[in-house]
Amino acid sequence: MCGRPWQERAAVALAGAVLLASVAAPLVVLAADGVHADARAMLTAASTWSLLAWSSALAALVTAVALTVGVPLGVLLGRTDIVARRAAFLAHAFPMFLPPLLLALGWFHLFGQSGLVGSDATARILFGPAGVVGVLGLAFAPIMTALTMLGLDAIDPSLIEAARLLARPPRITARILVPIAWPAIALGALVVFSLAFSELGVPMFLRVRAYPAAVFARLGGVDYAPGEAFVLVLPQLAIGAALLCIERRAIGRRPLTVLGLRRDRLVFALGAWRPIATAACWAIALLGLAPIAALASRASWRELGSWLGASARNGLIDGAVAATAVTAVGLVIGRGVARAQAPARALDALAVLAFVTPGAVLGAGLIAVWNRPATQLVYGTSAIVVLGYVARYAVLGTRPIAIALARGAASLEDAAATVGAGYLRRLVRIVVPSHARALAGTWLLAFVFCLRDLETAVLCYPPGGETLPVRIFALEANGRPAVVAGLAVLHALITAGVLALGLALLRARRTW
Amino acid sequence: MRCALLVAAIAIAGLGGCKSSAREVVVYTSVDQPFSQPVFEAFEKQTGIHVRAVYDTEETKSTGVVNRLIAEAKNPQADVFWANDPVRPFLLIDRGMVEPYAAPNAAGIPAPFKAADGTWTGLAARARVLLVNPKKVPSAEQPRSIKALADARWKGQIAIANPVFGTTTMHVAALFTAWGDERAQAFLSDLKANDVRIASSNGEVKRLVATGEVAFGLTDTDDAHEALEDGAPVEVVYPDQDGDGTPIMPTVVVLLRSSPHGETGCQLVNYLLSADVETMLAAKAAQMPLRAGVPVPKGVRSVGELRAFAMDYPSVAKTMARIQPVLRTWAGL
Repeated sequence: MCGRPWQERAAVALAGAVLLASVAAPLVVLAADGVHADARAMLTAASTWSLLAWSSALAALVTAVALTVGVPLGVLLGRTDIVARRAAFLAHAFPMFLPPLLLALGWFHLFGQSGLVGSDATARILFGPAGVVGVLGLAFAPIMTALTMLGLDAIDPSLIEAARLLARPPRITARILVPIAWPAIALGALVVFSLAFSELGVPMFLRVRAYPAAVFARLGGVDYAPGEAFVLVLPQLAIGAALLCIERRAIGRRPLTVLGLRRDRLVFALGAWRPIATAACWAIALLGLAPIAALASRASWRELGSWLGASARNGLIDGAVAATAVTAVGLVIGRGVARAQAPARALDALAVLAFVTPGAVLGAGLIAVWNRPATQLVYGTSAIVVLGYVARYAVLGTRPIAIALARGAASLEDAAATVGAGYLRRLVRIVVPSHARALAGTWLLAFVFCLRDLETAVLCYPPGGETLPVRIFALEANGRPAVVAGLAVLHALITAGVLALGLALLRARRTW
Repeated sequence: MRCALLVAAIAIAGLGGCKSSAREVVVYTSVDQPFSQPVFEAFEKQTGIHVRAVYDTEETKSTGVVNRLIAEAKNPQADVFWANDPVRPFLLIDRGMVEPYAAPNAAGIPAPFKAADGTWTGLAARARVLLVNPKKVPSAEQPRSIKALADARWKGQIAIANPVFGTTTMHVAALFTAWGDERAQAFLSDLKANDVRIASSNGEVKRLVATGEVAFGLTDTDDAHEALEDGAPVEVVYPDQDGDGTPIMPTVVVLLRSSPHGETGCQLVNYLLSADVETMLAAKAAQMPLRAGVPVPKGVRSVGELRAFAMDYPSVAKTMARIQPVLRTWAGL
């Protein structure tokens, strides 16, 4: 039925090659090195498992905070008449696009011993497990909010109309909206758990033990042992694989279309509760912005130029190229996932595992694979950072595009195929134009995540090619606090500018 | 979508801008960026040679870039390594990754702070110090030795940086070398029993003391100097001046073997060993000049005034590698 089937195989092979070169090859090289490590002793050590359990508990608590904040907020902002709910959602979501370490730095300026509202008591709470849970829980709550809103979009309005005849909104929310949206909520919980579990910078900054720090100690300590780091990552990869299985069991059986993006939303009127709910939503949204405001209050703009260097430009360039690659790879693999093709699903699984793999481990693997005279053009330039970004954030391309394509009419493509249109022609002439908005949105998401990346770039950026988060991290302890705060605020402003421009373009091109 | 493609095309063109150019030098450094970057800028201004640098982050100091150099050994990217301590360069020297180079400016550096064969040369030194918050510690009770960290009087009120990373690793390794494993491990156990706070870095120790979260902590002179410059209520104690002395840590410059830009690498090494650089580092980072004739700013001690902890750098380097499992276990990693 399909014309030129080799084109599709070649495209999938090419996308697969990118992931194999950026994800599988580094992990295989590290695994080979790990053979020399005493893997059994490391994995059976009580200290390994106690630290793993401790980090899992921290990640579970972060997830609980994110669920507690995100799900109600998702319902309120997604399905009620909260005042300026779109603006509230944007304000609430913004911190999600900043490096968590930067937010921790902001909270430190608020609640540290000499913070704006700090005291000995607040500092003790911040620099402890409760601080980690609070900082990360609030940072990742917007993921839950967004996915809850997305999940609610999947609900057939006629169901709600029918329910409204018999029940009040709270009962409808509890009995219909949340249960139907649960796959998206579960997916959000898995994402938050993965992110919290693999977070390195915030626990280290707040002096809390965490499993990723044990992995990092093998890469940042004196006895550089990437093989041992890989062995220690195995439980993390196992957790990632388990989460993937759970996610596929929970969501995989349902058509991807149920994940949302319907436009016929019904909104509940809150009536007398509207002012209180509006105040609550905005309070949470503004709470998330508090660390950025604290940084702004401490920031100095003098001398910023000399400390900024080319780091902002580096990040923008690397991020733009990587986002394009992520979108291209995501288009090919996401289309395959939407059509339940096994090779695409396997590559998607690889992308998920790369997402949960600590950035430092991926970075060490990239050095091992790509630092050779024959590949100097990659390793000696910012291309290595781009490759790292593509590895880490490929999943941000495959998933949204898979969902968007699953909603689209495959019949158009099938019809074109019956008259002999090849895979590439269908992709360029039908799939891309009809999903241009989703593709542009995916590009924007990947771009912003590349901009916020710290852990992938920090280990392998080329000399003189560091990005802004890397520079902030390098200056954080010994730079002038006002300069570091200024750089952090600048990073937030760049991110805000990129998002504003991107969203404005997306809105202007609603016809896409 | 077209906009995105256009942005990407421009960006791809921009990637080429990061490629090597002819008159350049690549340096990896664990010297704090606020102090090393101005030095590189001055070198660029003086020679016209573009410096491409990789800086260590405080949390991995000073091992992050060393590990990267080791990881890149088969295809070296860097010309020069400027270390913030005198021990870690031996991790590279022992692997045969260093090219001996007797820089002309090394002539002014005293013999104890350079290798006779030119493999390494020290400059601008720091010392390990106790940073004390006088609001928490009456002057009569001011600690005079690092052993005060294990004194029950200060239980829960003291801090050190994570010994898996940074100069604290070197300091602990020096103790293991001088005291022997049993005594040093007992000291670490005593610290733990005394609820010592494990900070992510020496800079974080400074922050903890300056804000009064702890009474005192073990850190480096440059961190102490920053606290004083910021007007923080702190006092600096050079420990064990009537006993073993305190570790003196010159920063160390090495030229790397098979470096991609050999000649410019030599130029940078020579520049880093100049009196100008020691003067800059003394003024900006309170680092102690090693060569005679370099002015010592007010408030900065000279090396000759201090009783130094006896350290054989190569031996300490070997101990440092050997005790890693002990340190990781102690730090709960």
